[in-house]
Amino acid sequence: MNRLEAVIEKEKGISYSQRDKDLFRSHILILIHQEQESKRLKRKLRLSLFLAAATLSLLFSRISEIANDFTVGLSDAITGDVLTIANDFTVWLSDAITGDVLTTVVFSYGLLFALLPLLKKPDFIFN
Amino acid sequence: METDEELVNRTLSGETDCYGVLVQRHADYLFGLGMRFTAGNREFAEDVSQQSFLRAYKYLKSFNPKKKFKQWLTGIAVNCYKDLSNKESQYLSLEVIDEPSYTPDFGGNTGFFELIKPLAEDERTIFTLRYVYEYQIDEIAEVVGLKSGTVKSKISRALEKLR
Repeated sequence: MNRLEAVIEKEKGISYSQRDKDLFRSHILILIHQEQESKRLKRKLRLSLFLAAATLSLLFSRISEIANDFTVGLSDAITGDVLTIANDFTVWLSDAITGDVLTTVVFSYGLLFALLPLLKKPDFIFN
Repeated sequence: METDEELVNRTLSGETDCYGVLVQRHADYLFGLGMRFTAGNREFAEDVSQQSFLRAYKYLKSFNPKKKFKQWLTGIAVNCYKDLSNKESQYLSLEVIDEPSYTPDFGGNTGFFELIKPLAEDERTIFTLRYVYEYQIDEIAEVVGLKSGTVKSKISRALEKLR
């Protein structure tokens, strides 16, 4: 028991010192600030997630309505365009055909008048 | 000089730097406590000290100003020591490391560290608080969260082991 008491008495007289106390203090304060920042960030993230979820749920509730509007609009656009294109194409084709006939006639007569002198000189052609 | 309780109040009102004063004031005390609990493992003692200060800040609102801050901090250090020693296997006893040429520098009373090594974790903390820091049985009971009778029986068991 005396040895035990002696060891304890000796231990009481020893004081332990934390190394670099200023650095230790700064380190603790930095860790505390980091923890606080992390908490703030988590709070903001939670709020953002909540807002995103609320926006998405609102969008999803209206999605069928939006899809319906879009389909109807697209259908109208396609139908209208096809009719317009078909009409335009018909008009253009009609003009083109009429125009081509005239051109062909003019061109044929032109060619005929150009070839007539050559027909009078068969040697030139067959040589 | 401001008291611990005043600094706690100022910290709670948003002056975080005041906590730095508390850290500086009690750093040696908590480190010494850690050294004794861990039987001279400096690295472990520093971790106990650091975790204790961080946990104390986290639960600072729960501190009762009618009680002593140092005693409250001691309770936190005891819990941190228990948690860390349960969680971490990195704090191997220096005895286990097979380095015959290495003489560990405990930086303290190796006689005391050798003395408390046979004690269990809770016996070691209670024994240290009772005989080195001279806490009363009731105070220890409050710090470690046990009944006074349990503390007494643990002290008796520790003394039997050491005889």
